[in-house]
Parts: sequence; structure tokens; C-alpha cells
Amino acid sequence: MLARETLPYVLAMLLLGIGVYAIACKKNLIKAIVGVIVIDYAVNLFLVLQGYRTGGEAPILAEGQEVGAFAGASVDPLPQAMILTSIVIGLGVLALMVAMALRIHEKYGTFDLSQIRKLRG
Amino acid sequence: MSQPGMSLIVKEVAKLVTGFIALFAAYIIVYGHLTPGGGFAGGVILACGFILTVLAYGKKFANRMISDAGTKLWDTFGAVLFLVVALFGYAVGDFFGNLWPGQGNFRLVSAGSIPLSNIAIGIKVAACLLGVFLALSVFRPGEAGGKEEDR
Repeated sequence: MLARETLPYVLAMLLLGIGVYAIACKKNLIKAIVGVIVIDYAVNLFLVLQGYRTGGEAPILAEGQEVGAFAGASVDPLPQAMILTSIVIGLGVLALMVAMALRIHEKYGTFDLSQIRKLRG
Repeated sequence: MSQPGMSLIVKEVAKLVTGFIALFAAYIIVYGHLTPGGGFAGGVILACGFILTVLAYGKKFANRMISDAGTKLWDTFGAVLFLVVALFGYAVGDFFGNLWPGQGNFRLVSAGSIPLSNIAIGIKVAACLLGVFLALSVFRPGEAGGKEEDR
């Protein structure tokens, strides 16, 4: 059976699968965009979990705390800093996709991917 | 009911709350080197405060408050301010060099030029997010533009 440590990774993979399903199977453009964002956050969650330590504390140095003991007890701050950047990039990608979807809706009057294909052909 | 925007309750609550949201955003930005948060998180909160007013008061108010060029201007100003803070590092010998060494830890004025960078990032993120939101919802240059263009 699944160990307690591996379960979060499996759930992150499940989240990724849900995103892939939304992109591959949903005809509505907005739902596909939501799928892309779900994949984005699944990857973020996975990478943050890489730096997690069971029982670790937040990587913020408090006053009067010794640096060595703090480094031994806190979770890894590097993935969290990276994920902050990744969230910003995801936001930019989301804005771009929504803008494109709006233009497509202006041009074709629908978000349905199959109808958009029909109109073009 | 002929008033633009949402109902009176939403407008009054937005009027009360927006100042506190801006204050909280300023706190998050300025204390970015001491507590969780920083330029990006505080900028997002500040942009959310603006977005709340725009949602409550409607399109005309948004156009009166800030224009398309205005958001671009603040956005660019944040980027240039960040670059200037980085270039001032050459005064002590390095790109992003810390001009004022810290006066002890865990104080507000203890991290040199890092809070200035945080403020610049906060301005940039707030203007950028507000610009994205307004560009997607309020500013629609040429409603006919989408239809008339050839494919």
C-alpha cells in the first residue's frame, strides 16, 4: 500500500491527470484554460512538496534563533522561492490565454472548439 | 438603479475597505524582508484593492481613475525604479550591490536597498495586474475590431 510520504505525490499526479483530461477532452475553450492552470498548480504543488520536511517549520528566521539550528529544522526555502516565480509566470500565461480566448470569442461568437474548427474550414 | 456599478451596499463597503486593503498592501511590501510576502504579494493585494473599486463602481469610474496609458506608465516606472536601485549598487562596486549595510537584524531599516527593490516590484506588480484586469474587462479599443479583421 501507499506509504504516508508518497501519498501527496500521488495526489499531485492525480491533479496533473485532471488537468490533462480537461485539456484533451473538454470542447469549451475556458475549460481547457482551466485545465492548463490546474496542471500549472499541480507542478507547483509537486515541487513545493520536494522541499518539505516532516515536522519542519516555516523558513523565516525569528529573532533570537540560532542559524544552524534553524537551518536544521526548517523546510527548504529554495523550491518555495522558485514556485513564487512560477506562479507569476502562470499568471502571465493565464492572462495571455484569456486575452486570446476573448479575441476568439469576438471573432467566432463561441467558445466551442469544434465549432471554431468548422467555421475556419 | 440607474447608477452604474453594483448596489449601494457593495459601494459603501468597498469605500470602507479599500483604504485598509491599500494599507495592508503597503505593510506587506515594506516589511517584505522581515515577514512572508514582499513586492509581489503586496502588489497583488494593492491591485486587488483597485479591482474591488472598479468592480463596485463600474466602467466609467475605472476610466476616470486610470487610463490605459496610466497603467503602462506606472508599470514602466516600477521597472525603471528597480533598475535604478540595481544600478546604484555600482556605487559599492556591484550590480545589485547593497548600498547601505544593515544596522542589526529584525528592524524595518536593516536590509539596505532590498526594501527599495520591494517597493519598486510592488508598484510594478500592482500596475501590471490592474492593467491586465482593465485590459481584459474595461478597455476595449474598437468593438468592431474583432469582426472586421480578415482571418
